[in-house]
Amino acid sequence: MSTLAAIAEELQRVDDETRLELLLDYAQQLPPLPEAYHPLRDRGLNMVHECQSPVFLMVEVEHGLVRLHADVPAEAPTARGFTALLVMAFDGATPDAVLEAPDDILHRLGLIHLLGMQRTRGLNAIYQRIKNEVRRQRQAG
Amino acid sequence: MADYAHPDVLVSTQWVADHLDDSALRLVESNEDILLYHTGHIPNAVKIDWINDLQDQVVRDYVGHKRFAALCSDKGIANDTTVVFYGDRNNWWACYAFWVFKLYGHERCLIMDGGRKKWIEEERPMTKTVPSFPATEYVAQPQDPSIRAFRDEVMAHQQAGKPLVDVRSPAEFRGELLHMPDYPQEGSLRGGHIPGARNIPWSHAANDDATFKSREDLEVLYLQENNLDPNTATIAYCRIGERSSHTWFVLTYLLGFDNVKNYDGSWTEWGNLVGVPIERGDG
Repeated sequence: MSTLAAIAEELQRVDDETRLELLLDYAQQLPPLPEAYHPLRDRGLNMVHECQSPVFLMVEVEHGLVRLHADVPAEAPTARGFTALLVMAFDGATPDAVLEAPDDILHRLGLIHLLGMQRTRGLNAIYQRIKNEVRRQRQAG
Repeated sequence: MADYAHPDVLVSTQWVADHLDDSALRLVESNEDILLYHTGHIPNAVKIDWINDLQDQVVRDYVGHKRFAALCSDKGIANDTTVVFYGDRNNWWACYAFWVFKLYGHERCLIMDGGRKKWIEEERPMTKTVPSFPATEYVAQPQDPSIRAFRDEVMAHQQAGKPLVDVRSPAEFRGELLHMPDYPQEGSLRGGHIPGARNIPWSHAANDDATFKSREDLEVLYLQENNLDPNTATIAYCRIGERSSHTWFVLTYLLGFDNVKNYDGSWTEWGNLVGVPIERGDG
Protein backbone atom coordinates (compact mmCIF):
# COMPACT_ATOMS: atom_id res chain seq x y z
CA MET A 1 0.00 0.00 0.00
CA SER A 2 1.39 3.43 -0.85
CA THR A 3 2.22 5.89 1.90
CA LEU A 4 -0.62 8.13 0.75
CA ALA A 5 -3.11 5.28 0.90
CA ALA A 6 -1.93 4.40 4.41
CA ILE A 7 -2.31 8.00 5.56
CA ALA A 8 -5.77 8.22 4.00
CA GLU A 9 -6.84 4.98 5.62
CA GLU A 10 -5.82 6.19 9.06
CA LEU A 11 -7.64 9.50 8.65
CA GLN A 12 -10.80 7.85 7.32
CA ARG A 13 -10.92 5.46 10.26
CA VAL A 14 -11.14 8.08 13.03
CA ASP A 15 -13.70 10.70 14.06
CA ASP A 16 -13.58 14.39 13.13
CA GLU A 17 -11.93 15.54 16.35
CA THR A 18 -9.15 12.97 16.03
CA ARG A 19 -8.72 13.85 12.38
CA LEU A 20 -7.96 17.44 13.36
CA GLU A 21 -5.55 16.22 16.04
CA LEU A 22 -3.73 14.08 13.48
CA LEU A 23 -3.48 17.02 11.10
CA LEU A 24 -2.00 19.08 13.92
CA ASP A 25 0.49 16.26 14.61
CA TYR A 26 1.54 16.38 10.99
CA ALA A 27 1.99 20.14 11.25
CA GLN A 28 4.40 19.59 14.10
CA GLN A 29 6.34 17.01 12.08
CA LEU A 30 7.14 19.14 9.04
CA PRO A 31 10.93 18.81 8.66
CA PRO A 32 12.76 22.14 9.01
CA LEU A 33 13.66 23.74 5.69
CA PRO A 34 17.36 23.16 4.86
CA GLU A 35 19.49 26.32 5.00
CA ALA A 36 20.23 26.14 1.28
CA TYR A 37 16.59 26.98 0.51
CA HIS A 38 16.25 29.89 2.94
CA PRO A 39 17.30 32.59 0.43
CA LEU A 40 14.62 31.45 -2.04
CA ARG A 41 11.97 31.41 0.65
CA ASP A 42 13.01 34.80 2.01
CA ARG A 43 12.79 36.31 -1.47
CA GLY A 44 9.23 35.02 -1.80
CA LEU A 45 10.03 32.60 -4.63
CA ASN A 46 8.38 29.21 -5.08
CA MET A 47 5.34 30.29 -3.08
CA VAL A 48 1.93 28.71 -3.65
CA HIS A 49 0.00 31.91 -4.18
CA GLU A 50 -3.48 30.40 -4.38
CA CYS A 51 -3.19 29.42 -0.75
CA GLN A 52 -4.21 32.09 1.78
CA SER A 53 -1.20 31.26 3.94
CA PRO A 54 2.42 31.67 2.86
CA VAL A 55 3.46 28.23 1.62
CA PHE A 56 7.01 27.78 0.30
CA LEU A 57 7.33 24.63 -1.81
CA MET A 58 10.31 23.32 -3.78
CA VAL A 59 9.67 20.31 -6.03
CA GLU A 60 12.68 18.60 -7.58
CA VAL A 61 13.36 15.28 -9.29
CA GLU A 62 16.79 13.93 -8.34
CA HIS A 63 18.13 10.55 -9.46
CA GLY A 64 14.66 9.64 -10.66
CA LEU A 65 12.94 10.39 -7.34
CA VAL A 66 10.75 13.30 -6.25
CA ARG A 67 12.25 15.50 -3.54
CA LEU A 68 10.06 17.97 -1.68
CA HIS A 69 11.15 20.83 0.55
CA ALA A 70 8.55 23.05 2.18
CA ASP A 71 8.13 25.75 4.76
CA VAL A 72 4.85 26.98 6.24
CA PRO A 73 4.62 29.21 9.32
CA ALA A 74 3.33 27.78 12.60
CA GLU A 75 0.49 30.34 12.53
CA ALA A 76 -0.98 28.46 9.55
CA PRO A 77 -1.33 25.00 11.09
CA THR A 78 -3.86 23.67 8.59
CA ALA A 79 -1.74 24.47 5.54
CA ARG A 80 1.35 23.33 7.46
CA GLY A 81 -0.28 20.04 8.44
CA PHE A 82 -1.51 19.27 4.95
CA THR A 83 1.87 20.21 3.43
CA ALA A 84 3.67 17.97 5.93
CA LEU A 85 1.31 15.15 5.04
CA LEU A 86 2.12 15.60 1.34
CA VAL A 87 5.86 15.64 2.07
CA MET A 88 5.49 12.43 4.04
CA ALA A 89 3.49 10.84 1.23
CA PHE A 90 5.59 11.94 -1.74
CA ASP A 91 9.16 12.82 -0.73
CA GLY A 92 11.26 10.02 -2.20
CA ALA A 93 8.45 8.68 -4.36
CA THR A 94 8.74 8.04 -8.08
CA PRO A 95 7.32 10.65 -10.47
CA ASP A 96 4.78 8.06 -11.64
CA ALA A 97 3.51 7.55 -8.11
CA VAL A 98 2.94 11.28 -7.77
CA LEU A 99 1.24 11.67 -11.13
CA GLU A 100 -0.98 8.65 -10.60
CA ALA A 101 -2.14 9.77 -7.16
CA PRO A 102 -5.86 10.69 -7.13
CA ASP A 103 -6.90 14.30 -7.69
CA ASP A 104 -9.65 14.15 -5.07
CA ILE A 105 -7.07 13.74 -2.30
CA LEU A 106 -8.82 15.98 0.23
CA HIS A 107 -12.01 14.02 -0.21
CA ARG A 108 -10.09 10.78 0.34
CA LEU A 109 -8.47 12.17 3.48
CA GLY A 110 -11.94 12.93 4.86
CA LEU A 111 -11.12 16.62 5.23
CA ILE A 112 -13.55 18.39 2.92
CA HIS A 113 -16.54 18.63 5.26
CA LEU A 114 -14.25 19.73 8.09
CA LEU A 115 -12.52 22.45 6.17
CA GLY A 116 -15.19 23.74 3.78
CA MET A 117 -14.83 24.68 0.12
CA GLN A 118 -12.82 27.87 0.58
CA ARG A 119 -10.08 26.25 2.64
CA THR A 120 -9.86 23.14 0.48
CA ARG A 121 -9.38 25.20 -2.66
CA GLY A 122 -6.20 26.70 -1.25
CA LEU A 123 -4.94 23.35 -0.03
CA ASN A 124 -5.65 21.75 -3.37
CA ALA A 125 -3.40 24.33 -4.97
CA ILE A 126 -0.47 22.98 -2.93
CA TYR A 127 -1.17 19.47 -4.11
CA GLN A 128 -1.63 20.48 -7.75
CA ARG A 129 1.63 22.45 -7.62
CA ILE A 130 3.48 19.23 -6.74
CA LYS A 131 1.86 17.33 -9.58
CA ASN A 132 2.34 20.10 -12.13
CA GLU A 133 5.99 20.57 -11.22
CA VAL A 134 6.72 16.84 -11.41
CA ARG A 135 5.00 16.66 -14.79
CA ARG A 136 6.87 19.73 -16.06
CA GLN A 137 10.26 18.49 -14.89
CA ARG A 138 9.71 15.09 -16.37
CA GLN A 139 8.86 16.60 -19.75
CA ALA A 140 11.91 18.87 -19.57
CA GLY A 141 14.34 16.15 -18.43
CA MET B 1 -8.30 62.65 19.51
CA ALA B 2 -11.87 61.80 18.55
CA ASP B 3 -13.61 58.75 19.99
CA TYR B 4 -15.17 56.09 17.88
CA ALA B 5 -18.95 56.42 17.45
CA HIS B 6 -19.51 53.40 19.72
CA PRO B 7 -16.21 53.17 21.61
CA ASP B 8 -17.43 50.61 24.14
CA VAL B 9 -17.66 47.90 21.51
CA LEU B 10 -13.87 47.67 21.23
CA VAL B 11 -11.86 46.42 24.17
CA SER B 12 -8.10 46.24 24.56
CA THR B 13 -5.97 43.20 25.23
CA GLN B 14 -5.28 44.65 28.69
CA TRP B 15 -9.01 44.90 29.40
CA VAL B 16 -9.47 41.25 28.41
CA ALA B 17 -6.50 40.25 30.58
CA ASP B 18 -8.10 42.07 33.52
CA HIS B 19 -11.43 40.30 32.96
CA LEU B 20 -10.27 36.71 32.35
CA ASP B 21 -12.10 35.51 35.46
CA ASP B 22 -15.28 37.47 34.84
CA SER B 23 -18.12 34.94 34.66
CA ALA B 24 -20.39 37.39 32.86
CA LEU B 25 -18.00 37.22 29.88
CA ARG B 26 -17.45 34.61 27.22
CA LEU B 27 -14.35 34.84 25.05
CA VAL B 28 -14.92 33.50 21.55
CA GLU B 29 -12.04 32.80 19.18
CA SER B 30 -12.94 32.71 15.49
CA ASN B 31 -10.22 32.07 12.91
CA GLU B 32 -9.71 31.39 9.23
CA ASP B 33 -7.49 28.43 10.16
CA ILE B 34 -9.50 25.66 11.77
CA LEU B 35 -6.49 24.29 13.71
CA LEU B 36 -5.18 27.55 15.10
CA TYR B 37 -7.26 27.52 18.29
CA HIS B 38 -5.82 24.10 19.10
CA THR B 39 -2.25 25.36 18.96
CA GLY B 40 -3.10 27.68 21.85
CA HIS B 41 -5.77 30.25 22.76
CA ILE B 42 -6.63 32.76 25.46
CA PRO B 43 -7.53 30.93 28.72
CA ASN B 44 -11.26 30.08 28.87
CA ALA B 45 -11.90 31.08 25.26
CA VAL B 46 -14.19 28.82 23.26
CA LYS B 47 -13.84 28.22 19.53
CA ILE B 48 -16.60 29.08 17.10
CA ASP B 49 -15.83 28.01 13.56
CA TRP B 50 -17.44 30.06 10.82
CA ILE B 51 -17.96 27.03 8.60
CA ASN B 52 -18.87 24.24 11.00
CA ASP B 53 -20.75 26.23 13.64
CA LEU B 54 -22.32 29.18 11.86
CA GLN B 55 -23.17 27.96 8.38
CA ASP B 56 -25.93 25.61 7.30
CA GLN B 57 -24.31 22.63 5.60
CA VAL B 58 -27.08 22.04 3.07
CA VAL B 59 -28.51 25.43 2.14
CA ARG B 60 -26.25 28.43 1.57
CA ASP B 61 -27.32 30.35 4.66
CA TYR B 62 -26.55 30.70 8.35
CA VAL B 63 -27.58 27.99 10.77
CA GLY B 64 -31.07 29.25 11.68
CA HIS B 65 -32.01 30.71 15.01
CA LYS B 66 -32.80 27.43 16.76
CA ARG B 67 -29.41 25.92 15.95
CA PHE B 68 -27.80 29.21 16.84
CA ALA B 69 -29.50 29.02 20.26
CA ALA B 70 -28.22 25.46 20.68
CA LEU B 71 -24.69 26.61 19.81
CA CYS B 72 -24.82 29.38 22.40
CA SER B 73 -26.21 27.02 25.02
CA ASP B 74 -23.43 24.56 24.32
CA LYS B 75 -20.76 27.25 24.67
CA GLY B 76 -22.23 28.46 27.97
CA ILE B 77 -23.49 31.71 26.45
CA ALA B 78 -26.67 33.12 27.95
CA ASN B 79 -28.76 35.94 26.53
CA ASP B 80 -27.14 38.41 28.91
CA THR B 81 -23.58 37.14 28.48
CA THR B 82 -21.07 39.63 27.13
CA VAL B 83 -19.36 37.87 24.24
CA VAL B 84 -15.87 39.09 23.34
CA PHE B 85 -14.74 38.06 19.85
CA TYR B 86 -11.15 37.86 18.64
CA GLY B 87 -9.21 35.90 16.03
CA ASP B 88 -6.53 35.77 13.36
CA ARG B 89 -6.25 37.84 10.17
CA ASN B 90 -6.82 41.25 11.72
CA ASN B 91 -10.04 40.02 13.33
CA TRP B 92 -11.73 39.33 9.95
CA TRP B 93 -13.41 36.22 11.21
CA ALA B 94 -14.07 37.69 14.64
CA CYS B 95 -16.05 40.46 12.88
CA TYR B 96 -17.90 37.85 10.84
CA ALA B 97 -18.88 35.92 13.99
CA PHE B 98 -19.85 39.22 15.67
CA TRP B 99 -22.09 40.04 12.70
CA VAL B 100 -23.79 36.60 12.85
CA PHE B 101 -24.41 37.04 16.59
CA LYS B 102 -25.98 40.43 15.84
CA LEU B 103 -28.04 38.79 13.10
CA TYR B 104 -29.67 36.61 15.78
CA GLY B 105 -30.10 39.46 18.21
CA HIS B 106 -27.35 38.90 20.75
CA GLU B 107 -27.16 42.13 22.66
CA ARG B 108 -23.71 42.33 24.23
CA CYS B 109 -20.95 41.79 21.68
CA LEU B 110 -17.43 43.16 21.85
CA ILE B 111 -14.28 42.87 19.75
CA MET B 112 -10.79 42.58 21.25
CA ASP B 113 -8.76 45.11 19.28
CA GLY B 114 -5.65 43.55 17.72
CA GLY B 115 -6.95 39.99 17.93
CA ARG B 116 -4.73 36.95 18.37
CA LYS B 117 -1.73 38.69 16.90
CA LYS B 118 -1.58 41.46 19.48
CA TRP B 119 -2.26 39.12 22.42
CA ILE B 120 0.61 36.86 21.32
CA GLU B 121 2.99 39.74 20.57
CA GLU B 122 2.38 41.07 24.05
CA GLU B 123 3.35 37.60 25.36
CA ARG B 124 0.12 37.19 27.27
CA PRO B 125 -0.96 33.78 28.59
CA MET B 126 -2.10 31.11 26.17
CA THR B 127 -3.42 27.64 26.89
CA LYS B 128 -4.36 24.50 24.98
CA THR B 129 -7.00 23.53 27.52
CA VAL B 130 -10.44 23.49 25.96
CA PRO B 131 -12.88 24.84 28.57
CA SER B 132 -16.35 23.50 29.17
CA PHE B 133 -19.24 25.48 30.57
CA PRO B 134 -22.63 24.43 31.88
CA ALA B 135 -25.34 24.61 29.23
CA THR B 136 -27.50 27.72 29.29
CA GLU B 137 -31.05 28.49 28.25
CA TYR B 138 -30.70 30.65 25.17
CA VAL B 139 -33.50 32.28 23.22
CA ALA B 140 -32.49 33.38 19.73
CA GLN B 141 -34.48 35.77 17.59
CA PRO B 142 -35.13 35.13 13.90
CA GLN B 143 -32.60 36.94 11.71
CA ASP B 144 -32.50 40.73 11.88
CA PRO B 145 -32.83 41.92 8.27
CA SER B 146 -31.50 45.40 9.00
CA ILE B 147 -27.86 44.31 8.70
CA ARG B 148 -28.11 41.76 5.91
CA ALA B 149 -28.61 42.49 2.21
CA PHE B 150 -29.92 39.96 -0.29
CA ARG B 151 -29.51 39.88 -4.03
CA ASP B 152 -32.69 41.73 -5.06
CA GLU B 153 -32.11 44.54 -2.62
CA VAL B 154 -28.53 44.90 -3.88
CA MET B 155 -29.82 45.08 -7.45
CA ALA B 156 -32.31 47.82 -6.55
CA HIS B 157 -29.67 49.65 -4.52
CA GLN B 158 -27.26 49.54 -7.46
CA GLN B 159 -29.88 50.70 -9.93
CA ALA B 160 -30.73 53.65 -7.68
CA GLY B 161 -27.07 54.67 -7.67
CA LYS B 162 -26.73 54.16 -3.92
CA PRO B 163 -23.32 53.50 -2.36
CA LEU B 164 -21.75 50.06 -2.56
CA VAL B 165 -18.38 49.26 -1.03
CA ASP B 166 -16.33 46.46 -2.59
CA VAL B 167 -13.71 45.56 0.01
CA ARG B 168 -11.66 43.10 -2.08
CA SER B 169 -8.20 43.69 -3.48
CA PRO B 170 -7.90 46.04 -6.47
CA ALA B 171 -7.05 43.12 -8.78
CA GLU B 172 -10.21 41.25 -7.77
CA PHE B 173 -12.23 44.47 -8.12
CA ARG B 174 -10.88 45.08 -11.62
CA GLY B 175 -11.70 41.53 -12.69
CA GLU B 176 -8.13 40.58 -13.51
CA LEU B 177 -7.14 36.95 -13.51
CA LEU B 178 -5.09 36.31 -10.40
CA HIS B 179 -3.65 32.96 -11.25
CA MET B 180 -1.44 31.26 -13.78
CA PRO B 181 -3.53 29.64 -16.53
CA ASP B 182 -3.35 26.06 -15.32
CA TYR B 183 -4.29 26.80 -11.69
CA PRO B 184 -7.80 26.86 -10.26
CA GLN B 185 -9.98 29.97 -10.60
CA GLU B 186 -11.46 32.04 -7.82
CA GLY B 187 -14.84 30.32 -7.90
CA SER B 188 -16.86 32.81 -9.94
CA LEU B 189 -17.62 32.50 -13.62
CA ARG B 190 -17.11 36.23 -14.18
CA GLY B 191 -14.66 38.73 -12.71
CA GLY B 192 -15.19 42.42 -11.98
CA HIS B 193 -17.40 44.37 -9.60
CA ILE B 194 -20.96 45.61 -9.14
CA PRO B 195 -21.23 48.75 -11.29
CA GLY B 196 -20.78 51.93 -9.28
CA ALA B 197 -19.14 50.20 -6.32
CA ARG B 198 -16.20 51.92 -4.65
CA ASN B 199 -13.13 49.79 -4.03
CA ILE B 200 -11.96 50.21 -0.45
CA PRO B 201 -9.93 47.11 0.51
CA TRP B 202 -10.93 46.01 3.98
CA SER B 203 -7.34 45.93 5.24
CA HIS B 204 -6.98 49.68 4.84
CA ALA B 205 -9.08 49.97 8.00
CA ALA B 206 -6.48 48.15 10.08
CA ASN B 207 -3.01 49.00 11.37
CA ASP B 208 -0.04 46.65 11.03
CA ASP B 209 -0.59 45.37 14.56
CA ALA B 210 -4.13 44.30 13.54
CA THR B 211 -5.83 47.05 15.56
CA PHE B 212 -8.39 49.32 13.90
CA LYS B 213 -7.17 52.68 12.66
CA SER B 214 -8.10 55.87 14.49
CA ARG B 215 -11.38 57.69 13.90
CA GLU B 216 -9.53 60.43 12.03
CA ASP B 217 -7.77 58.01 9.71
CA LEU B 218 -10.99 56.09 9.05
CA GLU B 219 -12.87 59.30 8.25
CA VAL B 220 -10.19 60.31 5.77
CA LEU B 221 -10.40 56.90 4.11
CA TYR B 222 -14.16 56.42 3.96
CA LEU B 223 -15.66 59.91 4.09
CA GLN B 224 -13.13 62.13 2.39
CA GLU B 225 -11.32 59.88 -0.08
CA ASN B 226 -14.39 57.83 -0.97
CA ASN B 227 -17.31 60.19 -0.38
CA LEU B 228 -19.31 57.87 1.81
CA ASP B 229 -21.98 59.43 3.98
CA PRO B 230 -22.92 58.15 7.46
CA ASN B 231 -26.58 59.03 6.85
CA THR B 232 -26.96 57.18 3.54
CA ALA B 233 -27.83 53.48 3.28
CA THR B 234 -24.64 51.64 2.34
CA ILE B 235 -24.01 48.01 1.35
CA ALA B 236 -20.61 46.29 1.69
CA TYR B 237 -19.54 43.07 -0.04
CA CYS B 238 -16.46 40.98 -0.83
CA ARG B 239 -16.36 37.34 -1.99
CA ILE B 240 -18.39 35.51 0.67
CA GLY B 241 -19.18 38.33 3.10
CA GLU B 242 -16.40 37.75 5.59
CA ARG B 243 -14.11 40.67 4.75
CA SER B 244 -17.14 42.91 4.27
CA SER B 245 -18.33 42.16 7.81
CA HIS B 246 -15.06 43.74 9.00
CA THR B 247 -15.95 46.87 7.01
CA TRP B 248 -19.58 46.70 8.21
CA PHE B 249 -18.21 46.75 11.77
CA VAL B 250 -15.94 49.71 11.04
CA LEU B 251 -18.65 51.80 9.37
CA THR B 252 -21.36 51.00 11.92
CA TYR B 253 -19.52 51.00 15.24
CA LEU B 254 -16.45 53.10 14.66
CA LEU B 255 -17.81 55.72 12.25
CA GLY B 256 -21.44 55.68 13.38
CA PHE B 257 -23.11 54.99 10.03
CA ASP B 258 -26.79 54.40 10.75
CA ASN B 259 -27.64 51.99 7.92
CA VAL B 260 -25.00 49.54 6.71
CA LYS B 261 -25.76 46.07 5.41
CA ASN B 262 -23.47 43.18 4.66
CA TYR B 263 -24.20 41.47 1.34
CA ASP B 264 -23.01 37.99 2.26
CA GLY B 265 -23.83 36.49 -1.15
CA SER B 266 -21.09 38.84 -2.33
CA TRP B 267 -19.05 38.07 -5.44
CA THR B 268 -19.52 34.30 -5.26
CA GLU B 269 -23.20 35.03 -5.87
CA TRP B 270 -23.07 38.12 -8.11
CA GLY B 271 -20.20 36.80 -10.27
CA ASN B 272 -22.20 33.64 -11.00
CA LEU B 273 -25.66 35.17 -11.48
CA VAL B 274 -27.09 35.10 -14.97
CA GLY B 275 -27.67 38.52 -16.51
CA VAL B 276 -26.64 40.88 -13.70
CA PRO B 277 -24.61 43.98 -14.64
CA ILE B 278 -20.84 43.76 -14.13
CA GLU B 279 -18.15 46.38 -14.53
CA ARG B 280 -14.44 45.79 -15.03
CA GLY B 281 -11.41 48.01 -14.53
CA ASP B 282 -11.03 50.76 -12.02
CA GLY B 283 -14.65 51.98 -12.12
